[in-house]
Amino acid sequence: MFRSALSRVSHAAKTSIMQTSYRVPAVTVTRGMSKHSTETDAELDARYESYFSRADIDGWEIRKAMNDLCGMDLVPEPKIIIAALKACRRLNDYALAVRFLEAVKDKCGVKQKEIYPYILQEIGATLQELSIDTPEVMGYDKPELALASIYE
Amino acid sequence: MSPSDHLPACQKNNTAEMALTPLSRNALKVMLRQVSKHQQIAAASSLSKIGNREVVGFGLNGDASYIDRVDFPMPAIRFKENNPDIQALREKEKGDWGKLTLEEKKALYRASFCQTFSEMKAPTGEWKSIMGITLMGASFAVWIYLWMKLFVYSPLPDTLTEEKMQAQLKRMIDLRANPIEGYSAQWDYEKGDWK
Repeated sequence: MFRSALSRVSHAAKTSIMQTSYRVPAVTVTRGMSKHSTETDAELDARYESYFSRADIDGWEIRKAMNDLCGMDLVPEPKIIIAALKACRRLNDYALAVRFLEAVKDKCGVKQKEIYPYILQEIGATLQELSIDTPEVMGYDKPELALASIYE
Repeated sequence: MSPSDHLPACQKNNTAEMALTPLSRNALKVMLRQVSKHQQIAAASSLSKIGNREVVGFGLNGDASYIDRVDFPMPAIRFKENNPDIQALREKEKGDWGKLTLEEKKALYRASFCQTFSEMKAPTGEWKSIMGITLMGASFAVWIYLWMKLFVYSPLPDTLTEEKMQAQLKRMIDLRANPIEGYSAQWDYEKGDWK
């Protein structure tokens, strides 16, 4: 087993090295190094909005996109948030919707007083329509429960 | 059937050159079997620990684990295990959310997540004990110093008394020590005083 694996690897390595040296013409060689994105802000917003708006989005994908958004240096646009909340509704996950609102609020950072009211105002109609309570209405703007100590 | 019988003809030549003795072949077989067994156990372990919690996403690193992080708020599994109460609530969640009471909404949230953002970010007050213990350590060091001063060190040499230091300075000036930038440069030898 080990032997055959080794011989396969060496065979594959040999053929791939031999072939690439013939195959790749110099003109098509591009440096695949730079990760600079040429995507504009509007394109990013549209991409995420359409991602969340997909009818067959599942729990894995919606969480992935939300986590990704939380990792970016931005506050999601209201239209992305609206699409995400509607996706939560399609997936029947109320907790996820509130959690995402909390995350968005947290993303506002030091400008929370300026940005968060604007977002609430923009997404207010959707919140009404889906009967989603804001974290403030849920009482989650202040700590509610303490963690029980695991040592007791 | 020898182990190399099932290989394509082109690979037999290669493998024949690297033939292993039957002994090392057996040892290798046993090792590989053990490795794959360990891998199976490791793969099962994260799932075996979560009870009947629902796996809902990828999470931080693909592990079926729960962790509250503000920069990564959607963990891979729900916080609470499924029980009939939650199941019933989830059925109700499929309908109009307007019919959920605030209590039910909170129960749903707490079934999925452990801490809210404000709870994650709430100050723990731990800085007080850290500060206190650090200062205690620092003051203990002062006590050690005082104890050493009393019981370990001999008294300071008498060359450090005021009059002996004055005499030392006088002698340095008389010897014109360091006349460019030192004491002697500050001394006016005609006046017999500091410049």
